[in-house]
Amino acid sequence: MAKVELSEETKAGIEEIKEADLLIAVAVPVDAERLRTAVTNAVLAMEQPASSALRTVVVFPGVGGSEAKTNPDTGDTGDQLRIMPYTPPAGDPSRIPWLPPPSTYQALFAMAREFGARACAVIGADLAALESDSLGPLIAPVVEKRCDLAMPLYAMGKFDGLLNSSILAPLTRALYGKRVRFPLAPDFCLSGNVIPQLEIALQRSTAQGQTLFWPATEAAVRDSAICQVHVEARHLQSTDGVDLSTVLAQTVGPLFAEMMTNASIWQRVRGSQAVATSGVAAMPPADGAPADTTPMVETFQLGFRNLQEVWSLVLPPVTLLELKRMARPGSDRFHMPDEVWVRIVYDFALAYRLRTISRAHLLGALTPLYLGWVASYALEVANASAADTEQRLEKLARAYEEGKPYLLSRWRWPDRFNP
Amino acid sequence: MWTQVSQSLHESMARVISRIATLLPGILALILAVLFFAAIAWLVAWLVRAFLKAIRIDDRLARGTNAIAEWSPQYTPTILITRVVFWCIVLVGFLVGLEAFGASSDNVLTARLLGYLPNIVGAVVLLLLGNVIARFLSRSVLIGAVNMNLHYARLLSLGVKWLVLVLTAAMVLDHLAIGAAIVDLAFGILFGGIVLAMALAVGLGSRNLVTRSLEREAARPASEGVAEEQFRHF
Repeated sequence: MAKVELSEETKAGIEEIKEADLLIAVAVPVDAERLRTAVTNAVLAMEQPASSALRTVVVFPGVGGSEAKTNPDTGDTGDQLRIMPYTPPAGDPSRIPWLPPPSTYQALFAMAREFGARACAVIGADLAALESDSLGPLIAPVVEKRCDLAMPLYAMGKFDGLLNSSILAPLTRALYGKRVRFPLAPDFCLSGNVIPQLEIALQRSTAQGQTLFWPATEAAVRDSAICQVHVEARHLQSTDGVDLSTVLAQTVGPLFAEMMTNASIWQRVRGSQAVATSGVAAMPPADGAPADTTPMVETFQLGFRNLQEVWSLVLPPVTLLELKRMARPGSDRFHMPDEVWVRIVYDFALAYRLRTISRAHLLGALTPLYLGWVASYALEVANASAADTEQRLEKLARAYEEGKPYLLSRWRWPDRFNP
Repeated sequence: MWTQVSQSLHESMARVISRIATLLPGILALILAVLFFAAIAWLVAWLVRAFLKAIRIDDRLARGTNAIAEWSPQYTPTILITRVVFWCIVLVGFLVGLEAFGASSDNVLTARLLGYLPNIVGAVVLLLLGNVIARFLSRSVLIGAVNMNLHYARLLSLGVKWLVLVLTAAMVLDHLAIGAAIVDLAFGILFGGIVLAMALAVGLGSRNLVTRSLEREAARPASEGVAEEQFRHF
């Protein structure tokens, strides 16, 4: 895919406004009135003088869409803040509504470049970041030139964002050596300096058929300065019409694909480094009733009974033996050791690369194993405090790092005997 | 009398030997044609492979979830296309050889066999395709059903596999013109039987499941819905 061309209306809007210091780029369709209120409050709430004095432009997908028809008024909101709709680029819509496709990011970064913005804050998924006053803290480190990419640190309950905690975050950390807690966060802020590089990276990844944009990974492979900011925003994505296996395939698949693209880079990375973190951690949401893990354990056992022929194509015999032990119905307490889970993820990544079986089948066959890990984790942290839960996830992330030599060996010599 | 028997045997042997002798040039022509076209096929396949590598077709088709890689994950598009080209040319060589063989013999059986050959080739292709589709669909159903927590996942998967295989077998026999109406009838009975058996098995098997599910739904306290929402995967 070539460079994304901005529509004539969008170009005209940019031409009219001309310049901006800060671009607040909303990536998903939102209600224009609600956006106007939220963004006005968010900009007013910015305490840092460096941020509040910025000429700010807010762009949101609107021209030609239903938002433009229902809310045609897109006028100014003061001298420092302008709101402008843009035409979202045509292309395949993401199968997961809250994850914008790379072409949307291409359009947003093109607009940031045209405006000559010093910083670009991307607001994905919903307006939670604007409505919870998370914008100021997210923008400040970039505007003050403390880092090139500011990623949010959401306050989450111990059973929230499990896919991120179990695969996305620890795998990205082990591969690229940066301890970013939410590598696929919908909200982030970028420095204007790195935007041209990311545009090139996006062109390359869309040309390779990538369906997701990984800001933290792109920054890590370019050795850009990454920082994390504690924010109060909490995204509550609707799960209507999107099942777990689809989300797993649509997020883990692109992560494995990214691994293939960056293989020469992550193979040289050893260990991991903490990234600068600012702000005060918000209170995580209170835990609800005790979690019932029985359905997840049952799905894992059902998977073991039925999917052995698929798993045996991907996993070595020793892992299958471990799974057999875990799937035994008599065991009083279900437990999946971190080492086993890490090897499973690494073996699936390798099978994705080698196309051992169809990739759709491969990622589908990962779902019962993932639910097995979730059940094991839920039982472990059922009575743990938020701090203990973080420690538990840190232990998992270290297991990923310690298991990386296994991944390297399997990646480099996939035909070598692996008992 | 023995003289007459001996003479008769000698004459029949001479006739058979002369028939074989008349066929020999045809067989030789067949072998030569196959060998010649195999050499051409090897050369063309090599050229096609070089061309496909030059235009980097594997990389182009590897974007996202392309159909070829999904259905045949272990072979790259280059290998698949190269092999198809190779075997098509070898097949043409075989047909040319057979034509030469037929021209050198005036046997009616040979002529009928030659006319039947395209049916055999078509049937083999159908059989291969049917097997690939049956395996792919069976695995898709199995994985999907397990992820939907269906306890009869394997049964569903086997049912789909056999449905496709039976359909393939019927098409193959139809293509070979074997059985005619009997095959159609048998296929109808078998196909309908499998569908009915699956419907009964799934229906009867899930009767208790549905009952339990409805009972659970009716007796479920308001707080249980919240407990299910406790795990947020994304």
